[in-house]
Order: sequence, then structure tokens, then C-alpha cells
Amino acid sequence: MRLITHNMLQCHVKGCNANNFPLDFQDVSLEQQEAELNEDFLRNMLGKIEYGALVATCLKLNITDLPSTMPADANTNEEFLQALHRVMLETHVISGKMVCPNCSHIYIIRDGIPNMLLAEHEV
Amino acid sequence: MPSGYVGADVGCGNGKYIGVNPKLFMVGSDRSSNLISICGERGHEAMVCDGLSLPYRPQFFDFAISIAVIHHFINPERRTAAINEILRVVRVGGRVLIFVWALEQNGKREFEKDVQDVFVPWATPGQASKTKKSTSVKSPNPNSRPQGVKRKDRLKAKADQVRQDQQNEDQAQDSPDGQRSNAGESDITTSMAQLDLTGEEASKSSAKSQSDISSAVQETVVTADINGSASVQEALEPSSSLAPSPKVAPVYNRYYHLFRKGELEDLVKETKIANVVQQGYDRDNWWCIVEKTSN
Repeated sequence: MRLITHNMLQCHVKGCNANNFPLDFQDVSLEQQEAELNEDFLRNMLGKIEYGALVATCLKLNITDLPSTMPADANTNEEFLQALHRVMLETHVISGKMVCPNCSHIYIIRDGIPNMLLAEHEV
Repeated sequence: MPSGYVGADVGCGNGKYIGVNPKLFMVGSDRSSNLISICGERGHEAMVCDGLSLPYRPQFFDFAISIAVIHHFINPERRTAAINEILRVVRVGGRVLIFVWALEQNGKREFEKDVQDVFVPWATPGQASKTKKSTSVKSPNPNSRPQGVKRKDRLKAKADQVRQDQQNEDQAQDSPDGQRSNAGESDITTSMAQLDLTGEEASKSSAKSQSDISSAVQETVVTADINGSASVQEALEPSSSLAPSPKVAPVYNRYYHLFRKGELEDLVKETKIANVVQQGYDRDNWWCIVEKTSN
């Protein structure tokens, strides 16, 4: 799972509707995998990502490549877009847990794949 | 779709559509962890999840696709709910492509006339390739009525879990063009070949070689009302009544709702937050492109 995907995810347990993002990483192992850079995609993401959550998540994982606030010229800032690419698309979570900050539900990541299935009573 | 758009493939199976356009970023989800493993091996972004409850933030996606998925949900409420859940995660103005099997199809699959709710055997790739050789799909035996199963004993609310992991070994995924694509080489016609092969034909085959084919083929035609209160889990159990040998691999049945013309569009209209902007019929499927108009 790439870090960009983590930024899309929220807890979806029934009734867990507030403070359910971002999920909190625990016991995570990371891997860098090279990917082709698509500037259109990165620019599109600027309006979609929760940048604060991304930075906070990165810091927790000891990734310090991103500035704490998004640069005003993010759209054209090559250096920033490259850092964003490296973080969001090339950084993979291979294993670990994602814990909901609200209801503490745990989502397991194994072999790079998050299991977001809920039990019957949680849906 | 413009370069850089982000899309959700809900019910992505083995991920055959995820990498189609490398200018897009797509995230797949499927109820089957085995199918999602294949996505992972192929380097696709994918997760295990139920289509009725997606874990995405609202309005994140520019578009979504739902290919041969909605027809697996057991009643109109669930089918509408599935569409609604996709629309929830797509932004206003975003588009969704939906494909479902058609009732009116006249391709290779044989269904009882006007019966919309059916079970179709889902063969494992190993069985399928063997079956393919021994059966002609184009000339089914009209006398070979597959064994029916009373629906009320079979059907439960969890019909939409038909695609779950019980289909072990399974690597296949339906596709709108009626081809069954997977990590191996079987296609949907093989599963229909199994459907046609019953009774005498099956006995002959198994006499030739026990492993030649599973004669435990079972088609369950659901003719009564669908109230969503019975168990489809049961339908997934290997059918054993015709099995000549315990060595025969199990055949699992999957629930399908065959859509009448216009039925898919009606479901979309029910959501009240999307319009059908394009629709059509393509090789045994009804499809439509939907545009989200409001939240």
C-alpha cells in the first residue's frame, strides 16, 4: 500500500463518523519502490490530499522529506512535486496496522495489502 | 479520462482493468483476498473490502468503475446501496462506469427464459481447462437439466458474499465481454460448458477419467422471490450429490441477477444524485456511464 492510499482511507465501522481519519500506523515496515512520475496526477492530488495528515503520518514514520505546510507554488515547484511523488507513490507499507483514532478498530496490512473488511456487526 | 485522474475499481477482481491506462491512478478493492493478492503481485494498488462499505473518504475519486459486480448483489436494495456507496466516494461531476450481465443475452451462456436470479457454477481454472476440451458449448444437451435446488433452502442475505474467499484456488474474474480472464487461461465459456454437461454426458466423461471433469455441476435457478433472508453460503458448498468420486474438485455456485433492459438505469435514478449520461448493450452486458450531480 502506497502512502497516497493511506491518505484516502478513513475508518468505516458503523457509527464511527468523526475523528476517523487519518488511521494511525503501528508496527509498520516500509519499502521504497521506484515509480514513474506523473505531474498531472501530483497536481490533481494537491486539491485532494489532506496535507497536514500526510505530513504528520510521514513524521511518525520518520520520513522528513515534506515541508510542514504546502508551498504556495506547489503546482510548479518541481522539488516539492518530486518529494511528494517519492513519499506518496514510492513509499509502500508492506506490513503493519492501521488503528482508528476514534474507535480503535485495527486494520491489518500484510504483504502490502490492507484488509479493510469489517465483521458483520461493524457494518 | 484526463491524465492524472484518480479512480476506484470497486470489485476489481484480479485487477485486469487497473493498469489499462497508465496515466491514471487506480485503487482496486474486492471482497476476495485471493483475487486481491493477484492485484498485489501485479503491483496494483488494491485492498480487501466489501463494496457496500468502502473505506474511502467521501468524494475523493474523479471516477469509478464497477465491472460485472452489481449483478452479484441479492436484491434491489443492495444493488442500489452498492451504487450509492460508489457515488459517495466520487466527486460531483465525476463519472462511474457500470457493467452488469443482461437477461436478454444471446451469447454462449444458456439461461432459463426470463429467469433473472440464477446461480452459475464457478469453476476453478484446473477444472475449467479440462472441461473445455471435452464439451461443446454450442451444442448443449437439451435433456440435461441441471439439478435444481430449492431457493428458500439456499438463499440468504449474504448472497453478495458469493465472491468471497471460499472460492479457494480461484483466480478468475468475470468480465463484461463474457471472457473469463485470470492468471491462468480459462474463460467463462468453460463454466458454461460445465453447466451444460450433466447427466449422461457427465457419466461418460467421468467414466473416461474421473478427473476429467467435475460432474458435480449444479445449477440453481432461483425462481421465487428474493427476500434476502436465506443463505447463499450454502449454495457455495461443493455440490456432492452427483459426484462420482471424492477426488472431484468442488464447484462453487455464484449468484447472479440478470438485468432487464432499463433496470440498471432505474437503479441509478433511485439514488437521485446521479444521471445516466450514456448507456448501451455490449456482448451480453448492459452498461451505463453515470455522472454524479450532487452529494
